[in-house]
Amino acid sequence: MSFNRFDQAKPFFTLGIIVFAWLLLPVAVKSFLRVAFFELQAPVQVTASYVRDLQEFWAERTHSKDELIEAARELRHVYAGYEFQAQQTDAEQAEITRLERLLRLPADPHFRFEPARVCRRDLSGWWQQLTIRKGSNYDLPVGAPVVYGGGVVGRVREVRAYEADVDLVSSPRLRIAATFENDTRPVSYQGGNNPPLAPAHGLVEFVPPDIVVYSSAPRRLVTSGLGEFPPGLTIGYVSHLETSPDGLFQAGEISLDPRLTELTEVTVLVPLQTD
Amino acid sequence: MYRRWLIVFATTLLLWLLVGQVNHYLAPFGVSISVGGLLVAFAALRLNLRNGLTATILIALTVDAAEPVPEVGHHLLYGPHLLLFTSVHILIFHLRTRFPREEMLFGLGTALLANLAIFLGLSFIYIELDAHSASGATSLRLLADLGWSQLFILAVAPWFFSLQQRALELGQVDLADESHRFY
Repeated sequence: MSFNRFDQAKPFFTLGIIVFAWLLLPVAVKSFLRVAFFELQAPVQVTASYVRDLQEFWAERTHSKDELIEAARELRHVYAGYEFQAQQTDAEQAEITRLERLLRLPADPHFRFEPARVCRRDLSGWWQQLTIRKGSNYDLPVGAPVVYGGGVVGRVREVRAYEADVDLVSSPRLRIAATFENDTRPVSYQGGNNPPLAPAHGLVEFVPPDIVVYSSAPRRLVTSGLGEFPPGLTIGYVSHLETSPDGLFQAGEISLDPRLTELTEVTVLVPLQTD
Repeated sequence: MYRRWLIVFATTLLLWLLVGQVNHYLAPFGVSISVGGLLVAFAALRLNLRNGLTATILIALTVDAAEPVPEVGHHLLYGPHLLLFTSVHILIFHLRTRFPREEMLFGLGTALLANLAIFLGLSFIYIELDAHSASGATSLRLLADLGWSQLFILAVAPWFFSLQQRALELGQVDLADESHRFY
């Protein structure tokens, strides 16, 4: 009888041992297991990503020569515009450097731009993350800002040998110090309110009470330059603010760019060591 | 002997990787699928304790490796999937003798219930306990994701159970004999 009872309890006894052993296991061993099991599945994810690239390549090869000539003509116009803007940027950068030296201001951080392909999108209600196809092999640091044409993508959370995980700007795990466009006072941004079958939203808090936004003319929220993100990068647009329960500040929702969920290529800003 | 857990682990790994690809394509629509219950159900229902638990622990570690580590208090809680998957596995294993566990319909029901339990457990860890969780309303998204996940399991579970059974047969594992073994 007692043997039967033990027989019934043995699975739970085994579970207890497993849980106890796992909790007692040193963090170094858990980290090693995490890396080992990730690298086990990484080749499949990367291969799937390359297969998608190949599909895209063959799909683009179906375009006719006329379409390609038309696209090249449009690109030439865009390129001419960008060339002019690049010259202006160089001149402005030189002026900034001159003023920094003159006023003995600390220099703005400089970055190396590292483009990377997205190999996995994992956007659930619990977390919102991308896996990119570059890691410590390109010296990507943890915490590096990730951007794209529309502004902020997120921040590098974990770097592996050949991949890195990025917390998306829509992830509840990401907080950024931000400012409203043409305003210098910092506010707090956090991702998180992600409705089903709709574009992601974020939350803005600690907004000074004198800032006013209208739903007909949403205001752009940009990075403040405090923290790892350079200033002026678009986070999203705020169209509605409400007074927070303490009455001292305002809080509201931010509409994020719908393109965030379809990204195939991003740029990691790797901080450069400066004197 | 090692073939049993290795075969079941390989098939669950295949499903996990396929679901990862599905989620990649569903991301622009604001939909995400979670199939934790399906990863555990077959091993818990059809294998003995040692083989089934080994396969479940391996797949749980694989899932944990690809997902963020929640921060509870000031400590990182490694292995939330490991803790949930093994707990659900043991519970199914304990109850399985009372039910017709070799029937597809029962397996399907078990996978759905196990998935519900794991989904609620993960939601509790990542929303209630995690220091990074947002204060915004995420319950609607979670509810929708749970609904999509259950529908997905309904659709693929018969195929997946058959795949695991066939893979074990190809590995010359006698499932009838396996059913009589407790440990």
